[in-house]
Amino acid sequence: MTQWDDMAFDDRMGTVEFRVGERPHIVVDSDICRSCTTKACVTACPANLFAPTSDGGILFNYEQCFECGTCYQVCNSEGALSWTYPDGGQGVVFRHG
Amino acid sequence: MTDVIVVGAGPAGASAALTAARAGLEVVLLERGPFPGSKNAYGGVVYGRVLDDVLPGWYDEVPVQRWVTRRSTMVLTDTQALTVDFRSTAWGEAPYNGCTTFRADFDSWLANKAVEAGAQLVTSTVATGLLVENGVVVGVTTDRPDGDLRAKVVIAADGVNSFLAKQLGLLPKTDAAHLTLGVKEVLSLPREVIDERFGVRGDEGVDVEILGCTRGIAGGGFVYTNKDSLSVGVVVSIDGLAKSGIRPEELIADLKAHPAVAPWVQGAEVKEYAAHLIPEGGYDHLPELSAPGFLVTGDAAGLCLAAGIWLEGVNFAIGSGLAAGKAAAGHVQRDEPLTSYKQDLEGSFVLQDHKRLRKAPGLVLSDRVQQQYPGMIADLVEGMFTVTNPTAKPGVLTLLRRSAKKHGVKLRHLAADGLSGGRTFR
Amino acid sequence: MGELVVVLLRCTDLRPGVDPLTGAISRDPRASALSASDAAALEHGLRIGELLGKRVLAMTAGGPETEAPLREALALGAEVRRVPVTASYLEELAADERALAQALVAALQGEVPDLVLCADRSADRGTGALPAFLAHELGCAQAPGLVSLELTPDGLVAERRLDYGRRERMLVPLPAVCSVEGAGVRLRRASLPASLQAATAAVPVADVAVKPGAVRVVRAGPSRPRPRHLPAPTGTSRERLLALTGALLSHEPPTVVGPVGAEEAADELLDFLVRQGYLSEARTGWAVT
Repeated sequence: MTQWDDMAFDDRMGTVEFRVGERPHIVVDSDICRSCTTKACVTACPANLFAPTSDGGILFNYEQCFECGTCYQVCNSEGALSWTYPDGGQGVVFRHG
Repeated sequence: MTDVIVVGAGPAGASAALTAARAGLEVVLLERGPFPGSKNAYGGVVYGRVLDDVLPGWYDEVPVQRWVTRRSTMVLTDTQALTVDFRSTAWGEAPYNGCTTFRADFDSWLANKAVEAGAQLVTSTVATGLLVENGVVVGVTTDRPDGDLRAKVVIAADGVNSFLAKQLGLLPKTDAAHLTLGVKEVLSLPREVIDERFGVRGDEGVDVEILGCTRGIAGGGFVYTNKDSLSVGVVVSIDGLAKSGIRPEELIADLKAHPAVAPWVQGAEVKEYAAHLIPEGGYDHLPELSAPGFLVTGDAAGLCLAAGIWLEGVNFAIGSGLAAGKAAAGHVQRDEPLTSYKQDLEGSFVLQDHKRLRKAPGLVLSDRVQQQYPGMIADLVEGMFTVTNPTAKPGVLTLLRRSAKKHGVKLRHLAADGLSGGRTFR
Repeated sequence: MGELVVVLLRCTDLRPGVDPLTGAISRDPRASALSASDAAALEHGLRIGELLGKRVLAMTAGGPETEAPLREALALGAEVRRVPVTASYLEELAADERALAQALVAALQGEVPDLVLCADRSADRGTGALPAFLAHELGCAQAPGLVSLELTPDGLVAERRLDYGRRERMLVPLPAVCSVEGAGVRLRRASLPASLQAATAAVPVADVAVKPGAVRVVRAGPSRPRPRHLPAPTGTSRERLLALTGALLSHEPPTVVGPVGAEEAADELLDFLVRQGYLSEARTGWAVT
């Protein structure tokens, strides 16, 4: 059974508050990603922030990040992701978490 | 220089700060979000009895959404649903059992208790690392200017990703096999509609745990009632999720469209979407809980019970936090070793429950329980209650054999799992 | 000349919850924060206060929920003061910025500031009236909507955006009230020791009797024309496509109006709305209240 989502993904992310800091707290080394065959982050990231590029790399947008950690946990390429928390007070703010 | 630094103002950190401050220690409680709870998401139920001793009458002031008076365990297939439903009026009266609440509310409330006890809460501050001298933790570095802070004890309550515990090598850098991802939607629905659809009234609420709704990925789903919203979500193994190539929000969409769930959520609007990791390794994968000058609590210590029908975390966070605060006080005031923390936990429900149910995560997340048993049980029950006249009723054993065969379950596996289930949950 | 730089802050939940079903709005007191332009105002205030060697006072009107952002200002070295008003009062005041301006000036307790800074989206939801009323109450110059503020040997030089991408630079005589956009600067972060001290510090509450606003809002209507209901196109797929795309219909070519003055522009807009059926002829003489 494949059930298509009943809401656009942008609308879904629009329900969440993000206080966007200046510093990208997660940095992807796209050169390492080019040799990655699974690219598990692309589907596993609940915020859908990892976009595969046409040259086989990964484009990452840090602005709407839940800071959950799924991406670095499923990443099988050592060093592809440098993962830190956003600066204090920035990032996701759950009201109904 | 302060006595204790607690990193993270979630339930574990707030509890640790509370006991340490009450013991007379100087406590600094660091929180990286703008307010406690702002970075936290969970399924939806807090079991608060652990607070009986430290905050008597907690249930009169806790920011509750609804008191859980009805618990359902559901097994789903694409077209079937089997529910075991229990309700108790006792759970709707003091001292209560579990309540649904939002973490922004609950964590802020609990952290405020620590502040009232004398702890200093500093929000919007990330503890970026530990200061270690001669193998002893002597403080933390933060992302604020002039941000190093020294203390006699550092308590890590920095959550499932605990980079502090990782810095000391207590937690592995990555551990996808023992982590699950929880994704949740909070759905807006008028209060009366929830009361009607779930058969509750007033402050009564419902807690539904669901098996077999995750397209074979190890995990489960849940539906909880809040005052005027529902929390609907799934919890899945991140290894399984990554291998499946399925996006997490599709699993929620699946669950919401299931014939047994769709009538509950019909017409509801998404109020907030959230995701968070959950440590589900159980007792066998707990890290070292202390190091010189350092204690680990709550999710950072993997103290989260995801044992099938028991899904608890906040209570273990509070339990371990209270013990950590106590151990820190003993260490600072009477020079007791910090290892007393683990001994204390061994004697309390925190580690006893984990030890008793140590095999549960493996069993509950096993392929057979996840992929074959839901369909088998549903078919068995459908067979029992389908009136096939003029054919006579088949015997239950015949039905069991039939549905086991249909779902590829060998009876000896069934017996073995039954036995290990009996041992696990004894 | 005073010895004070005042920063007026608006501390509120920047992302109030809107119930998707009822449209009811809820503000979370815990989420009270400074907007980008409030943060910019505070940063400008701290910087200019340092350069002028004057005290900086961060002040806000609101309930206890505004104290967290004020403590951040305290940790950054500013003095803080809160003008005690309830949230509902503040909403009423938003329609009468004059009463709010009077309350804020009264809370200065007779001190005359050199410079008053506020955000261009202050308590009045961006009407820009508050800085003007403040300047009136204080009897000083005003310079709203600034993108930069610099202290030069000639005095305070401010820059603001104009239409057509132009900018104007002006010399602002002190004392003055300036409102700033959330642009160009980011608020510095407070040090950890200062934050620790501020965490438990009391926020002084100004002893001000706030007068009720003179303006009463009777009804607040939608801020844009209501959408017109159009029936779904019927017929064959070709006819529906034609109806949806309007491919064979004749079109009014776009009209270029202006550059014209504000009055002609307003007339042009109203005429357009009447032509398109969003306004009835009878309402063209409406007054904006």
